[in-house]
Amino acid sequence: MFQPGLVNAMTARHEAAKGFCDITPLSLGVLVYGFAFGLLAAQAQMSGIQTGLMSGLVFAGSSQIVGVERLVAGAGALSALAAGLALNVRILLMTSSLRREFAGRSIWQILLGAHLTTDENWALMHATRSKGHPVGYWYLMGGGLSLLVFWVASTILGIFFAQALPDPRALGIDFAFTAAFIAMLTSLWRGRPDIGPWVASILASGIVVLFLPVEASWALVVGGLVGALTAGAQARE
Amino acid sequence: MLLAAGLAVGTLSLRLTGYFLGFRLPETGAWARAFSALPGCLIASLVTVILMTASTAEWGAAAVALGTALLMRSVPLSMLIGVGAVWFFRTLF
Repeated sequence: MFQPGLVNAMTARHEAAKGFCDITPLSLGVLVYGFAFGLLAAQAQMSGIQTGLMSGLVFAGSSQIVGVERLVAGAGALSALAAGLALNVRILLMTSSLRREFAGRSIWQILLGAHLTTDENWALMHATRSKGHPVGYWYLMGGGLSLLVFWVASTILGIFFAQALPDPRALGIDFAFTAAFIAMLTSLWRGRPDIGPWVASILASGIVVLFLPVEASWALVVGGLVGALTAGAQARE
Repeated sequence: MLLAAGLAVGTLSLRLTGYFLGFRLPETGAWARAFSALPGCLIASLVTVILMTASTAEWGAAAVALGTALLMRSVPLSMLIGVGAVWFFRTLF
């Protein structure tokens, strides 16, 4: 007998597993940054439990690194918090573009989905979809779960072992995410209508980096918004 | 732990604000075009911001990673070759 619920559950599990597997190279990159954050957390006198809790509940690596680095540098907690949150404004833009993925979901699925949305699994979901694979919410969740597990585990381990590891820069591993985002960008290219918005994004973010004394994350937000507004303003081809 | 609690609450609020904002915008017309272009624009900005402060070796490796991505259409392979290229160029320069 045909059971649509069972088929949907199997599809969701299959899609989540695909997301979990596809993101593995990026999760390995997260591991390196997790160790680095653990080392920083140790300098800020944080315990393994505190570090793990922070990583699981915040789950936004760059803001954690910047916030704790500010604390270690002697800044106040509010100043460190403001710097960390400024970096996360871009995530607001990401979750705002997930209307299709979140439509009709239960409250817990929306909360979980919002919490597990990061640069890596959000960009990978769009890039995979651009290649013709009809992936969505569960693919995003599978990728997010993998990143969360690797991130939390590596930040805790980093407290104890980071000093014994080689410098990621000496091995070139610090470049892994840049290469990943360049590859995802090529998948997101949709043809001529993208020329104007992308050029506008590149120019706007470049101008902010060059001329405004603000966190680099604001350049990213401004670039994304200017490009998207350019796409909205241009006539449909 | 004030920082950890503040970041946890603040970041989840930002994520949920995005969710509510997304549902309040129209599904067709200019706003829909803007939101469908957002992923590419945001990643284009991210790569721009990274490369604006990068060294010659990283620009060279970025070109290699781009070439690999265009030829092979593979994220893991682009990462692997990109990391190898940046290690090589840093050793060279």
